[in-house]
Amino acid sequence: MNVQRRWINRLLLSSPLAMGGALCARAQDDAALAYYREAKINWKQADGQSLTIGLNKHPFTESLLPLIPEFRRLTGINVEYLILPEAEYFTKLVADLSQQRGEFSVIMTGPMRNWQYVPPDWILPLDGFLNNAKLTDPNWFKLDDFYPALIKANRWDGKTGGGVGEGPLYSIPVLAETYILAYRKDLFDQYNIKVPTTLEEMAEAAALVKKNAGIPGIVARGTPSVASMGTGFLSGLKSYTDGQWSEFDGKMNANFHDPRSVKYTELWINMVRDSGPPNWANMQWYDAMEAFTAGQAGMIADADFFAANYEDPKKSKVAGKVGYALIPPGPGGKTYSGLWTWALGISKATKNKDAAWLFVQWATAQRTLLNATLGYRNYNPSRQSITNDPRVQEIMGSWGNGSYLKVLAKNLETARVAWTPQPERTRLGDIWARALHEVYFKRLSAADALKKASVEMDKVLKEAGIK
Amino acid sequence: MNTAQRRHHWRREAFLPYLLLAPALVLLAGMIYPFALGSYYSLTSYWLQYPKRFRFVWFDNYVNLVTEPLFASALEFTLGFTVAAVALQVGLGLAIALFLHGRIPGRGAIRALMLLPLMMPPVITALMWKIMMASTNAGILNHMLSFVGVDPINWFGSTGGAVASILIIDTWGNLPFVALILLGGLQALPNEPYEAARVDGAGTLAVLRYVTLPLLSPFIVLVVLFRTMDSLRIFDVIYATTLGGPNDATTNLHIMAYQYSFQWFQMGKGMAQAIVLLLIVVICSYLLMRLWNRASESTQ
Amino acid sequence: MSAQTPSHQHLVRNVAIALAAALLLLWTVFPFFWILLTSLKGPGDMLSVPPKFVFSPTLDNYAALVMGEQRGQYSSTRPDFPLFFLNSIIISVGAVALSIVAGIPAAYALARFDFPLKSGLAFVLMSFRFVPFIAFVIPLYLLYQRLGLYNTHAGLIFAYQLITLPFTIWMLRSFFQEIPLEIQEAAKIDGCSWLGVLTKVILPLSMPGISVTVILGFIFCWNAFNYPLMLAGRQTFPVTVGAIQFISYEQVLWGQMAAATIVAALPQLVLSLMVQKYIVRGLTMGAVK
Repeated sequence: MNVQRRWINRLLLSSPLAMGGALCARAQDDAALAYYREAKINWKQADGQSLTIGLNKHPFTESLLPLIPEFRRLTGINVEYLILPEAEYFTKLVADLSQQRGEFSVIMTGPMRNWQYVPPDWILPLDGFLNNAKLTDPNWFKLDDFYPALIKANRWDGKTGGGVGEGPLYSIPVLAETYILAYRKDLFDQYNIKVPTTLEEMAEAAALVKKNAGIPGIVARGTPSVASMGTGFLSGLKSYTDGQWSEFDGKMNANFHDPRSVKYTELWINMVRDSGPPNWANMQWYDAMEAFTAGQAGMIADADFFAANYEDPKKSKVAGKVGYALIPPGPGGKTYSGLWTWALGISKATKNKDAAWLFVQWATAQRTLLNATLGYRNYNPSRQSITNDPRVQEIMGSWGNGSYLKVLAKNLETARVAWTPQPERTRLGDIWARALHEVYFKRLSAADALKKASVEMDKVLKEAGIK
Repeated sequence: MNTAQRRHHWRREAFLPYLLLAPALVLLAGMIYPFALGSYYSLTSYWLQYPKRFRFVWFDNYVNLVTEPLFASALEFTLGFTVAAVALQVGLGLAIALFLHGRIPGRGAIRALMLLPLMMPPVITALMWKIMMASTNAGILNHMLSFVGVDPINWFGSTGGAVASILIIDTWGNLPFVALILLGGLQALPNEPYEAARVDGAGTLAVLRYVTLPLLSPFIVLVVLFRTMDSLRIFDVIYATTLGGPNDATTNLHIMAYQYSFQWFQMGKGMAQAIVLLLIVVICSYLLMRLWNRASESTQ
Repeated sequence: MSAQTPSHQHLVRNVAIALAAALLLLWTVFPFFWILLTSLKGPGDMLSVPPKFVFSPTLDNYAALVMGEQRGQYSSTRPDFPLFFLNSIIISVGAVALSIVAGIPAAYALARFDFPLKSGLAFVLMSFRFVPFIAFVIPLYLLYQRLGLYNTHAGLIFAYQLITLPFTIWMLRSFFQEIPLEIQEAAKIDGCSWLGVLTKVILPLSMPGISVTVILGFIFCWNAFNYPLMLAGRQTFPVTVGAIQFISYEQVLWGQMAAATIVAALPQLVLSLMVQKYIVRGLTMGAVK
C-alpha cells in the first residue's frame, strides 16, 4: 500500500492538476486557466483592484497560495493575504471586523462563526452574487455540486436560537468535518472487544483496551475551551439524547444542567477519567490525534478526516490498523453527528466587493478544490464531484479497508450543525468546558457543575443583550 | 557630594535638562496615553462585538470582580505562585551561590553556562519544557524519572502537576538570576567580619546566620524585589503551556485579563482586571523598595 | 562507623561537591541538549515511547525552517521562519536605536543635572520595568487598529519602547554616573559646552557601557513575546511568536518547533556570552554593578 500511494503521488505531481509550487510551466498554466475561462463571465471585470484575504493556517490555505499568481493572470486582481493559526486568526478577525476598516476582504469562516459576525452586520450575504449573471455562471460554478447539508449549514436567518439552513448564504464551504469513532481494529480483534453501539459499551470497550493492552482506552480533547466541546463530546450528547437535547429551553435559558445532559456528562467523564490518558485535562485536538496516531490509544471520537493522519504510514504507527464507526447512537438508534465547514465569506467593509466574490468563486471552483484535496490533503471534500473523483476514491477508499468512506456517507445523512445559533457560542463553550473540569477533578458533582455553568451562561447572555 | 556647588556653572541652562529629556518624555507620553485610554475603558462596558451597548458604567467592572468566582481563584494563584516561586528561587539560589562561592572546580564554566537559561526568551523556555514534559508518553522527563523509581508525573494534566510545571519552568529560567546576583554579593562582602567570627570560634552555620546573611541582606531584598514583580505578572510561560488550565489551576490575573479581553473581547472588564493587577504590582514594588532602601542603609 | 580518616572525609566531601556540580550542570544544560536532539529527529522518532537517544539524525527540520518543505513529508508547510527572523532583527534594531537616541540625552540629564521631579521621573521610568503588559496592550491594540499601526514594524518598534526605553535610560545613567565629575569639570574649564561635555567626554568614556546597553536591549527585544503576539500579524511576527506557529490544523510540527527554538535562541546565547559580565547589572537596570 505504501508503494502504491507513493506511485499515486508521483502520478499526481506530474499531472497538470497538481499545480502546487514547482510546476508552473506556461503551457500547463494556460491549460489550467482554460478551465476557469469556460465560465461565461468576464473574469477581468475587476482588473487592477486589490484584495486582502484573511486565512487560517490550514491545508486548504496552503493549496491556495501557489495558485494566487494564476488568479492574478486570470482576473488582474492583486491578492495580499494574512495567515494565522486558528486561535490567533479568530481574534484578529473579530478585531478587524469590529473596526469595519475592511482590512480583510475575503475571510475564512464557517457556520458557528457566522453567528457572531451576522448580528452586528459585519459580513455580506452571498446570494446576490450567486444570482448575478454578470458575476456568476451558475452552470459552470454548480452550487448544487456541494453537499446540500453543507450549504444549509452556512445559511442562517439571523435569529438567535434557530434558523440554520434558512435565510441568506453567508459563506461557501471548502471542506466538511463530521465526527466519528476511530478505533484500533487490531486490538479490538485481539482482545475480542466489540465495536461499541452505545455510550455504555464505549466505556466498557475503553476499559477493556486499557486493561488488556495497557494503553489508554480512549483519548479526547480536554482543554478548558470551546474547542474541546464541539466534536466528539457534543455529537455524543446529541446522539445519547436522540437529538432531543439542546443548549437552551424555549426561552433561551441555558439548559446544560438538564438531567439527560448530567447523566451523559457523568458517563463521559467517568470513561475519560477511568480509561483515558492521565493528561486529558490538557489535551488539545492535536495531542489527542497524535496519541492515537502514535498507537497510544484504543479509541478517539473526533473529526473524521484525522484519518488522513492515522493512515499515513510515514508518521503513523497505526496505519492500516484503524477501524471507523459512527459515534454510538442513543436509544433511538440514530447518530446525530455535529458538522463544521471551513468556508469563505466576504467582509461587509470591503471596498471591492465584486473582486472579492470573484476570488471566492475561483477558490471554491471544482478544479481549485480538487487540487486542494489531491495535492494538499484537504479532507473531506465539500463538493460531491470531488469525493467521487476516482483518484480521491482511491485514497480515501483505502482508509480502514474501505470502512471510512462508508461510515462517512452514512454520517453525512444526519450530520448537521449541533450548536444552537447565538453570538456567544465561544464564551458559552468555554464555560461549559470549565464545568467538565470541575466534574473531572471531583470538585463538584456533574449536576452541580452544570447547574453553575448554566447560571453563569444566563448571566453572559443577559449582559450581551441576547435574552 | 558637592554637586550643588558645581551646579551653579550651568545655572543659566536650567531649562537644559528638560530639553535633554524631551525626546524620552515624548515617547513616555506616547506610552502613557494608551494607558490613560485603557483606564477610561475600564470604566465602560466596552465589548468589541456589541458596539451599540457601549456605555459608561463607573466602577461596575471593579465592583463586579468581587462576585466573579474566577477572580478569587486567579488572585489566590497570583499571590500563591509568587510566594512559592520567590521562596523556592531565593532559597535554591542562595544555596547555589554559597556553593559556587566555595572553591569549586569549573566554577567559571558553570557560571557562564548558567547565563544561558537566563537569556532565553521565556516563551521559548516554556516550549522547550513543554516538549520534555510531553503530553504523550514520549516525555523525556518522566522517562528519566523512571530510572530513579519515580512514577510518571502527570505534568500538565493534573492541577497540582500543572502548578508544579509552571513553577519548575519559571525556576529554570530565573534561578540563575538569583544565584548570580547573590554570588556577586558574596564576592563583594568585606573580609573583616569573617575574621572576627573565626576568632570567636563560630561554626559554619553560625557564620552563615550571623555574618553572611545580614551582610547579604540588601542583595537578598533586591532579588526578592525583582522576582516578586516578575512572578506577579508571569504570562508567557503559562500562555505557552497550560493557558490557565486545568480547572483554572494556573489562571492568574494576567491570564484572566487576557481571556476576558482577547478571547471574549470584553475590553472594559479585561482592562479593569489589568489595572487591579497593576495596582497589586505597584503596592508590592513600593513596599519592597522601601525595604530595600532600609536594608542598603543599614549595611552601609 | 565514625572512625573515618580525615582523608576519607576529604574524599567524601569532594565526591559530594563533584556530584552537586554535575547535578547543577545537568539541570542547566540538559534542556538545551534535549531540544537539540529533538530538532534532529525525523517524524518517526519524534513520538516514540520511550524517547530515543539514539537515532539517525536528520537536518530536515532545519531545512524545512528555511525552505518550507520537509522532504517527502509536509510538502505544504510554508517557509515563514526566515521572515520571522528578519522581523525580529528589524524590530529589535529599530527599538534599540530609537531608545538609544532618546535615552542618551535623558540619561545624561538624570546623571548630571539636578532639577525638580528628577527622582519622581526616575521612579516612573523604573516602574515600567514592572508593568503587566496587558494593561498596555489592550489599549494599544485598539489604538493600532484605528491608526493603521497594527501589524507594522513601526508600531512594534514603538510598543517595544516600553521594554527598552526605561532600561536604556537607567543603564546609561548608571554608566554615566561612574565617570568622575573631575574630568567633566576639566573639560568645562577648557571651554566645552554641555554638548561638548556629552560628545567629547561622556560618550567616549562610556562607550563600553553603551555597547553593553545596546546588546542587552537587543536581547530583551528579541525575547519579547506578548506585545508582538497581540500587535503583530504574519508579516511582522518575530521568532518568539513564530515558534508557537508550528501548530496547524492537521498536525504539530514538533521537530520544526524544536529547530525553531534552537534558531530563535542562538543569537541570544552568543550575545549573552559576549556581555556576560554585565548581565546581572542589565537585569537589575543598573542596581547591581
